[in-house]
Amino acid sequence: MNSQDILSKINHKSGMTVPDNYFADFAQSMSSQLPVQDWEREDSAVVMPQSFWHKIRPYAYMAAMFLGIWCMMKTFDLMRGDSVISVDKNPQLISAVNNDAFFNDYCTPAMSETDIFDELYDEGFDPSSLDSL
Amino acid sequence: MPESKSDQPDISKEVSLIERLRDKATCRDAFNEVIRLYSEPLYWQIRRMVDNHDDANDLLQNTFLKAWTSIQQFRGAARLSTWLHKIAINESITFLNNKRKRANLSLDDEQSMIINAIEADTYVDGDELKLHLRKAIAALPEKQRLVFNMRYYDEMKYEKISEILGTSVGALKASYHFAVKKIEDYFNALD
Repeated sequence: MNSQDILSKINHKSGMTVPDNYFADFAQSMSSQLPVQDWEREDSAVVMPQSFWHKIRPYAYMAAMFLGIWCMMKTFDLMRGDSVISVDKNPQLISAVNNDAFFNDYCTPAMSETDIFDELYDEGFDPSSLDSL
Repeated sequence: MPESKSDQPDISKEVSLIERLRDKATCRDAFNEVIRLYSEPLYWQIRRMVDNHDDANDLLQNTFLKAWTSIQQFRGAARLSTWLHKIAINESITFLNNKRKRANLSLDDEQSMIINAIEADTYVDGDELKLHLRKAIAALPEKQRLVFNMRYYDEMKYEKISEILGTSVGALKASYHFAVKKIEDYFNALD
């Protein structure tokens, strides 16, 4: 008898049996044996209502993200070579520079005499012109 | 109660079960359904490996306990039945290895250990031919034994066996072919 004859004669049955009602009894006893897991205990505790922060958290994160992007773009813009701050477009700066008291109090003390002389020299200032004063 | 082939739940039922398993509120009830649905196929899977009802019963319990304690790690990437079969097979192989080590037997002596289990098994229908086939299967290497059992007794598709054992379909077909040849040799030697 070849193997195919034997296998077809046996017809996929192993000849093994189980006690009567084994599977129904097993399912019942197995279900009762399942231990309570930590996450089940957490669930059985009082469910905490969602706090205000939990509700707005996604929107706050999104706002922070857009603010971050804006700051980044602003920084990149300032780092660009052609982004010179123009006095002409800033009326507060023009009035501040034209105000002698402000200029003397806040700007001049911050400059050294050498810098002033260098600047005057670069602009072609003639020191002898002071003699006539 | 004789062996019967129980149908595995279809994919849509599995998907709905997995959804319920993921929800903490319904997880326990869903797992009880998993036990009801998969006890029988998993039991026969294990029983054909260890060839003894009491050992199979213990291993089936261990399989479900292991599945239950790691249910939160089951992401549904594989089919639920595949995942459960993998656990059952690992449990069975570990059991056989430990049993062999306890008896101080080599890998080659595993065959005699399984044949002893078959002869001591009281839950059988008494059919001599089926008993001989079980002994012929016991003589097969572990992987061939698994493949033969899944293909012949469970009539599983090679693709499904491939998912469970992580072996290519071609290798499984070759493995099954060699197993059948060895079984034929066993019966020829009996004549």
